[in-house]
Amino acid sequence: MKALQIIRYGEIKDSLALNEINKPTVQVKDVLIEVKAAAINPIDKLIILGNLQGMLPIPLPSTIAYDVSGIVVEKGDEVGNFEIGDLVFARVPQEQMGTIAEYVAVTSVAVSKKPGNISFEEAASLPLAGLTALQSLEYARIKENDKVLIHAGSGGVGSLAIQYAKAKRAYVYTTTSTNNVKWVNELGADRVIDYKTEDYKTIVKDADIVFDTLGNNYTLEAFELIKQGGRVVSIIGALDEETAKMFGMADYKLPKELAKQISAKEATYKYIFMQPNGSHLGEIKSLVEDEKIKPIIDKVYSLSESIDAFTHLASGRAKGKIVIKIA
Amino acid sequence: MEELIKKIKNSILLSSEAEEYLISISKDKIVPKGSILIRQGQTVNKIYFVTGGCLRSYCIDKSGKEHTLHFAIKNNWISDYIAIHGNESATLTIECLTKSNIIEFNANEINGMLTRFPELEPFQRDNLERLFVSLQKRILNQLQLSATERYGLFLEEYPNVEQHTRNYHIASYLGITQESLSRIRVEKAKK
Repeated sequence: MKALQIIRYGEIKDSLALNEINKPTVQVKDVLIEVKAAAINPIDKLIILGNLQGMLPIPLPSTIAYDVSGIVVEKGDEVGNFEIGDLVFARVPQEQMGTIAEYVAVTSVAVSKKPGNISFEEAASLPLAGLTALQSLEYARIKENDKVLIHAGSGGVGSLAIQYAKAKRAYVYTTTSTNNVKWVNELGADRVIDYKTEDYKTIVKDADIVFDTLGNNYTLEAFELIKQGGRVVSIIGALDEETAKMFGMADYKLPKELAKQISAKEATYKYIFMQPNGSHLGEIKSLVEDEKIKPIIDKVYSLSESIDAFTHLASGRAKGKIVIKIA
Repeated sequence: MEELIKKIKNSILLSSEAEEYLISISKDKIVPKGSILIRQGQTVNKIYFVTGGCLRSYCIDKSGKEHTLHFAIKNNWISDYIAIHGNESATLTIECLTKSNIIEFNANEINGMLTRFPELEPFQRDNLERLFVSLQKRILNQLQLSATERYGLFLEEYPNVEQHTRNYHIASYLGITQESLSRIRVEKAKK
């Protein structure tokens, strides 16, 4: 079968190749998905550049990408909740990475039936970003009337987080640049802050939750904006101590300034490391079928154009997700 | 099965031999919500009579989106007649939107029964004509009525089905977007 593989670390053009490889075999708990569409995410770019070699060691060559939608064509003996012919979508676990291919084997616990009202391309755009948004806001115990700041509302994660927070009836502030204000507003955000003309720190006050998707100063500044006892969740800031232990860093201590801010606000701080999860994807499926969440696609590429898709991703200019149509 | 026998006896004279045979080829089933009775792409040889609950038949287009063809409630028949007639793999998927009570028949055995007991033919013809009429009406409605009118007819034809369905099931049955369906509902509520 054809698959887009990372063959060495470095510049995108030199590191990816469309190779002919063996079709994967299923283990007892796996389903084999005939891939209809895959989507790419910023993490794929970091893997190709070699920035994550320490955290996520992968053998080379490896097929790239995590998001997939398609049809179940085979299943392991212990798979009870899927049948051959089911239309599904998933964020595949690290050890099964490689969705830009004609087939991918995925543990069934990471898989959900696909929403019936959207296309394969739209479904493939949802899992990684959608799970990140859901798991971050659920960790922060989002509830009705919470004041929530979501940074980078036009990003893959931000755009889904806004819609998830609105589905939970929270009040949503979000930041974005002038060009994106209109469409981000249409996602349902209550107050879109144009960071080129406005200072978000003077607008957001006493927030219950800040969802930090930007890191750097934004992580620390979040504590100026939350109320006493508020929650800050980050997908890019410093690790919290519990998450660091999970990665085997037993002696890790929170950066001093961050620890000081957390304690001053009696706040919760958590670095969210997204976990593949079929039942969370099932919740996203229901929200999509009820049109509480709409996928946002920037561009669809064919498999033969998939290296161009990564160049587009690296440009950082995509508004919504970049999808690769496989079949 | 009793209900179906009663329905048949209302329209034709059913001999005890034919009744016994009909019972012998039928299977009463209670199927949980979410069950798939027929799956697009797979072989079909079953026809179902609904005695309770609600089912939906739909096709999945090349892009992966579902389009609802038909809902079936009490006293309706449902199957993929395109596949059965042409001896092809299923064009449709049939799912149970609620826990449903159905009577399952094998299509070949129904045909065999009609050869053996020709007195059942008028009942079968009446069923097929009703189905044909309903499909003709559905096409004409689609061609000449507004979405609001079609939604009104849907509510008349399938009372109480709305509570078991998702918006996109009905929107795709009517051939409109989910946004349009929401707008029609809001307008209807205002009246």
